Order: sequence, then C-alpha cells, then structure tokens
Amino acid sequence: MKAFLAACAIALLTSAAPVEAANIKNIDLGKDAQVWFAEDHTVPIIAFNISLPAGSAYDPSGKAGLATFAASMMDEGAGNLDSKAFHEALANRAISFSARAERDYLVISISTLKENAPEAMRLLQMALTHPHFDNEPLQRVRTQIIQSLQQEQAEPRQVAGRAFTREFFGGHAYAHPVSGEIGTISAITAQDLRNFARGHWVKYGLKVAVAGDITAPALTKLLGDAFLPVSGAKPPVLPNVGRLGAPGVHVVPLPVPQPSAVFGLPGIMRQDPDFIPGYVANYILGGGGFSSRLTEEVRVKRGLTYGISTSLTSYNKAAVLQGSVATRANAIRQTVQVVRDTMADFVAKGPTQQELDDAKTYLTGSFPLAFASNSGTASQLGTFQRQNLDIGYVARRNGLIQAVTLADVKRVSKRLFDPARLTVVIGGTPADGSRAAPTVPRPPVRPAPSPQPPESAQPANGPQPGPSVTSPSKPADKPVAGPVTTPQAQRKP
Amino acid sequence: MTGFKRVSFGACVTAAVTMAVGAAMPAAAQPGNAANRAKLSQPAPANPRQTGNNTFQFALANGMQVLVIPDHRAPVATQMLWFRVGAVDDPPGLSGMAHFFEHMMFRGTKEVPDDGFAQTIAKNGGENNAFTDHDYTAFYEQIAKDRLPLAMKLEADRLVNLDLSDSHVGPERDVVLEERRMRVDNEPMSLMAEQMHAALHLSHPYGRPVIGWSEEVRRIDRVTAQDFYNHHYAPNNATLVVAGDVTPDEVRQMAQDTYGKVSARELQPRAEFTEPPRLAETRMTIVRSDARVPILSRLYRVTSYAQGRPGQAEGLETYAQLLGGDQTSILYRVLVEQKKLASDAGASYDGYARDAGEFSVYAVPRPGVSLEALEKAVDQVLGVNALALPRDNDLARAKTQLIAGVTYRRDSQFALASAYGQALTIGLTVDDVNEWPARIRAVNAEGVRKAAQSLSRRDAVTAYLVPGGGK
Repeated sequence: MKAFLAACAIALLTSAAPVEAANIKNIDLGKDAQVWFAEDHTVPIIAFNISLPAGSAYDPSGKAGLATFAASMMDEGAGNLDSKAFHEALANRAISFSARAERDYLVISISTLKENAPEAMRLLQMALTHPHFDNEPLQRVRTQIIQSLQQEQAEPRQVAGRAFTREFFGGHAYAHPVSGEIGTISAITAQDLRNFARGHWVKYGLKVAVAGDITAPALTKLLGDAFLPVSGAKPPVLPNVGRLGAPGVHVVPLPVPQPSAVFGLPGIMRQDPDFIPGYVANYILGGGGFSSRLTEEVRVKRGLTYGISTSLTSYNKAAVLQGSVATRANAIRQTVQVVRDTMADFVAKGPTQQELDDAKTYLTGSFPLAFASNSGTASQLGTFQRQNLDIGYVARRNGLIQAVTLADVKRVSKRLFDPARLTVVIGGTPADGSRAAPTVPRPPVRPAPSPQPPESAQPANGPQPGPSVTSPSKPADKPVAGPVTTPQAQRKP
Repeated sequence: MTGFKRVSFGACVTAAVTMAVGAAMPAAAQPGNAANRAKLSQPAPANPRQTGNNTFQFALANGMQVLVIPDHRAPVATQMLWFRVGAVDDPPGLSGMAHFFEHMMFRGTKEVPDDGFAQTIAKNGGENNAFTDHDYTAFYEQIAKDRLPLAMKLEADRLVNLDLSDSHVGPERDVVLEERRMRVDNEPMSLMAEQMHAALHLSHPYGRPVIGWSEEVRRIDRVTAQDFYNHHYAPNNATLVVAGDVTPDEVRQMAQDTYGKVSARELQPRAEFTEPPRLAETRMTIVRSDARVPILSRLYRVTSYAQGRPGQAEGLETYAQLLGGDQTSILYRVLVEQKKLASDAGASYDGYARDAGEFSVYAVPRPGVSLEALEKAVDQVLGVNALALPRDNDLARAKTQLIAGVTYRRDSQFALASAYGQALTIGLTVDDVNEWPARIRAVNAEGVRKAAQSLSRRDAVTAYLVPGGGK
C-alpha cells in the first residue's frame, strides 16, 4: 500500500495539468470594466460574482461600517419597489442575491435559474442605480447589525480579531472593523448611505465573473443593458499604508474559559514575484490544516489546541500574514511562545524537500475542485479578479506553484516569518493555573477543523438554494463535522 | 438576503457548513417506518441500473449499496460513504460514541498508520472530511477523477483494518472534549439548543447530543470503541455515493476491486426507539452572561418524511418556508416589518430522520420588547395560520423556492451526493428524492393549514435565552 501511495503522488506531480474545465473568455463591457465568463450548459443556472470598489476601506472617518451597512441595504428597496416588493421580486423567482463588503470591494453574489437571468439583472440595476434607503428597513437593518455586534463582544475570537486589525493597520483605512462599531453604526444616516452608493456603486473598476448556462453574445447583451445606466464616476484612490504591525502581545480581557489569540506579520503583495513562494511557505508553516508545522507543534505534539492556522492575504494596499489559535486560559501564553519558536525554527532550517513536494501536489492537485460547479467557478474567478490578476492566470497558476524551489521557500520564509515582529492580540484573560501547558511533546493527536477568520469565511458550496435561514434554534450538533480541516471553504490563490 | 443580516445568530450552527444542503434537501414521505425499513433489505441489482434522470444504482455481493451520479463538468469526483450508524446507536452511558468513532476513523490502520489517510488524500490534491448525525455517519473525499481508485482503496482499508490502540483513543477523546467546548460550551445558543432537544424527546435518543455529554465522552475507552467498530462498520451497513466525472461501469469496477474485497459482517441490529407521548409543554429560561441578545426559540416534535403519511412532511416543509423561510415569510413580515417587535424571525423544518422530525420557530426581540410579548405575537401568527388558508401568492412563492432549490443543488456534487446519501440512509428511496419536486408542487392551501394545525404546544419546548447574571 505504501509503495502504491508514493507512486500516485509522483504521478500527480508530473501530470498536474492546467484546469481544463476553466475555458474562460473575456466579455467586452468597456475599458473600465472587466468581465470573465466560463460557459457551461450542464445545469440550467447562472452564477454571478460582481465586485465594485465599495469596500470598508472607503468608510469616511467616524462612519466605520458604512460600506457594510450599504451592502445590507441593497435588497431593501430600489426603483419602483419598496423593501417588501424587492424581496418578493427575488423570492418569486427564487433568485439568490447577497452582498457583502470586504476591505477593498463590495462583492455581490447572484445565482439564478437561467430563465430568470434578465429579471435578476434588472433588479441588480435598480439596486445599483436607484436604491431607496427608506426609514423602515434602515432602522430594522441598523438594529440587526447592532445586535450582532453586541453578541460579538462576548466572543473571544471576534474581540481578538477586531483588536488585531486595529493594532496592525494603525491609522490606515484598513484599521477599522469591516462591520463597524456600535457607535458608528448608530450614527449613520440615510444621506450617508446615499452618498456612499453614489460615489462607490459605480462601474469604474467593475469586475464581473460569470459561470453557467448562457452564451457569450447573450451575456454581453444582458450585462451591457444592466450596467448601461450605472455611473462611471471614479472612486477616490486609497492612501498607501505606512508601517504595518505593533509588535508585542496585547491583551483584551474577557472572562472566558477559552481565550483566542490572533497574530500576524506584514505579508507579501499579490503582484510581488515572491507571493507564490510565500503562499507555499505559509501552507507548510500553518496553512495546511492537519499537515502544517504549527498544527504538528501546537496541537499534535502538545495538545494545546483544537485548531491553529495561518493565511497570507493581500489587499490592494497592504498584505498580512495572519493566524489564530484558541486554547484554555492557563495555556495561552505558552501557546504563543510555541508559535514564535516554530516560526524561528522554520526560518532557520526551512522546509524539507518532502514538505515542499507534498505542498505542491496538494496545491496544484486540488485546484480543479474549485471549478466543479458554476457557483464555485464564479466565486474563484471573482477572487482572481479582485487580486488584479489577468485572465491567463488560471492556466498559468499551477505552473507557477510547480516552479517554486526549496531555495525560494527558504528565502521568502526569512522575509515573512520574523517572530520578533509578531503582533499578537489575546481576546480573553490569560491565567496561571495548576494545569500548565506541557513543556514536552505529548503523544500524537489528530488535528481538527481550525476556525476560519470571520471576515474571510465563505460558504463551502456556494449559494444555497434560495435565501437560507440560520435559526438559532437549529440544533448546533446536527450533524457534527469531522476531525479534518477542509480548506474548500477558502478560495485558492 | 444581503450578507450581514442574520449572520451572527447563525454563527452557533457551527456544523451547518458541511451539511448546509440539509435545509432544502428533498426526499419524500412513505406510508410508514416499517415499510421504509423493509426497503433496505430489497436486493439492488449487481449491474448499474438507471433509477432516475441521472442516477444509477447497484449493489456489491457483500451488501454494499452503490449510487452513481455522473457530472462531467470538471475532471473531479466526490465520493461519500454513508453508514447506517449514528448517535442513536451510542451504547448506554457512552453518548458521543458514534461521533468519537468518526474521529477514530482518521487514526490509522496497519498499512496506512497515524494520519496517513488525510495526508495521502492531501498529497493527491484531494480534500476530505466526515460528519455524524443521530441516524448516520458519513465520510467523503473530493479528488481528481484519476485518484478515485486511491480514495476507494483508502476507505476500504479503514472499513475493516482500523488500528485502535490506547495511545490513539486517549488523545482523540481529549480532542473531542475540546471540540465540545468550542462548539457547545462556549456558545450560548448551542447550549440552549442542546437543552431543548434533551427536553423535547423524552427517552428517545434524538434527545442526546451527537457530540455527547462530557462526562460520558470521558468514559469511552479502547474496548468500547473496538466493540462499536465491530458491530457497525461493515460494507453491508454502508451506502456508497459517487458524483462526478465517472460512468456507472467505471465505478462498479473500482468498487468491486476495493470495497468488493471486504467481507460482510454480522451487524448489531439497530434498536427501535419509540417517542413516548408528551402530556405537557416544556418551558425553560436560560440566563447566561455570554448571551448579549435575548432570543425566543421553540422546537416542536413533528412527523418526518420517513414516518408521515403521504404529503404530511411536504406540508410541513412548505409551511416552514411560508411561515419563516426568508424575509418574505409571514413571521418576518408581521413580527419584524409590521409590528416591529422583532429584529429577526424565522422557522424551519427538519424532516430527514428515521423517527420524529422537528419544526422550529425563533424570534429575536427588538430592544425594549419583552420575550413574553414577542411569544404572544408569535402564537398569534401561528393561530391565524391554523385557521385561515394561506394566500395563493405566498403559497406559490414558497413552493417555487423549494422546487428551485433542487435545480440549484444540481450545481454541487457534494450537495447532490448528500441528498441521495442521506435519503437512502434513513430509509427513503431514489424515487422519493426524484419525485420530491412533484410532491411539493402538489401541496395545496389545505395541506399547509393542516400542517399549521398539527403544531401543538404540548409537543413543544419553548426556551428564552436571557442575557445577564452568572453562568
């Protein structure tokens, strides 16, 4: 069996072909917009992933959360439809419509049955060009956002994540939480929302990814009509980020049994040739779920946590290597020290050739999984668009990963993983207790799902049928997910 | 629905990601449990037989059932192995055993020791995981189609050759306890749901948490685990579902070369539990300092697709959509938009169970609104629906959404494979899955009103989650 497995891994290395399913075309929508299209007629649905320069980084001073608030208002009334009528127009045709703000972009995901695509695009056009921001939905959505921010104040992972962002990005527009603060959300007015939509829900810098059951000419017509009246105004340019990080350990006290630590370092920008080697290096150190160095040291050997992971993320103006871990209160400081030591060791010795080979076979071999559905394809292409990659990248991507050498990873690791520069935020109250963290490794323990960063978490299988209700009374343990991390929830770089 | 709303209140439903398809997963009612369970013993043909638009079924000589769903869009395949064992089969005093055992399946065999299973899948570009529910345990891999034989070889290996040792059992038990703390003990809404289920089902094992009670999980040891494995893990207790870039004949060949070499085993028969009659409503108020927003939640014990008479479960499914499926639903319209008592409200039906199903209703009060006033308003809505027929356009919209869900589901190999795997494992048939849209289409206004009338507070638990105080 072992010989058989080894042979397979080698065969995969040599046969890792570009994604054959992703036959992606450009659709012309004027020079300021970019449209990528993957045609597939297997299932009669069409998935759209639309990005506009309307992320939280554009929130004006004192209005943190404006972009998120505006995104939440997108289906709450537009044109000749009030909130109720707009919701019914979507629901009557089972059109799935969702909008969320990230740091740089507003991302709109639409899934529709093929025959309802014109209605879906008509509603999108109305939402973009004639949003209402009526008082009833505005107050209702405000209450919903504030209540969820209130609940987050009791959740250590959220508390640590917000404080980390604030410390790490300092005075930059990336420093405030994407979903805002209770105080700023309370103060946002309809006029604020209107101004924001006018300035940022524009087609300058528009990115659209489409996958599914439509032809290129039909799609060109559909999108051309939909976006024709959308403003072409140019949004302001974001300022550059200065120094990143606030090295040291920052504690936000919270009376919980299991504190969370969020930690990070300056990352590597997407257009930097070192990004791909950096991504591979991160996979080996902390990105690979059950097989990473951090999982091995923190969880498997010492049993300090249920999950630990790191990720390399590049925004338009800054990049961050960020990780998180949760453990009992009397072990959190030791756990942070193990993270530091593991990083230092990785920088000093680098990965083994076997670790590099295994990383490459996973990263290249799992790439086609992202293109197994229309919603997955649209979502993956949208991610590439937001990273300002060109349409040929999809075909080149696996080759770039194959080309990474051991020397590349060692060089980039020195640049990335400097334990002395780590910014660490602990949400929760560290304690000294009788049951201190073991200083010597314990017998091996199987890894488990590591919590995803809350702001980058995405549904595992794209849009669900119709709007999904997440009821608090739903059984939390039906079913209980398994012991292995599934990286499918993350889009691939 | 836009991204932000409802997000935080769903965050406690941690496991929903792997089974997010469940909410709209079709299958359909059959005359009764006994009839359904009898179907499991009907022999499937040895050669692939088309049993729907795009589904093919056969059985291996050792009793393993196989379903193939070809989808040639990308050169990848999803394999799911569904076992007819779950938390209802936990031995007495050892709640959490089925879920714990799911973890143990990743702890290695003689040939693929330690975490070699997951490592090998990853090295070959695949992704894998598993999940456990009351009625079943399922394992899956998503991988390039030419690696499917490897994935099958690995699954067949751990189906019989698991290497249980004390050095594996002890640490994995600690991991599960950590998992429980993360998913349940640190989540006030999960704790509330756990208490509600325990109260709802009286003596039926649906009332105990799949992840187990901490004290009982601590008692699991190598001997009890080995016993569980011997009694429940066998090819004749499993259904294999493969969706993706494959043909039925390819799958049959691969399955015969791997699973086919594993012998059938004598199984421990599943205990048949009854649902004792409930004579009174149960009410509870849970006060937690880690709850920052109050919530009203009600859980009804109702019929399921496996138990119900034809059309009953479909009526409940349609009523849940109409009552609280989205922002166009009655609860949202009345409580949130019109009366402004709630900031959110909804309902859902889970009818995919061998025994009883569950119907749930929740509402989050706006600041200054008491849970008592909110509950009164919820009951008013429920009362109206039990008397008056639903409006035609509301009913049509609810049915459209449910039926469209079936088309959306076809976009995902995982969702599709899950729908069939779950249905077959709880005793429904491929026909039940395929005919579900037609059965939903047949639900009329009277059927919805009957569903509304069938909800009795005597068969329900009502809970208030209240912020404040100590824990």
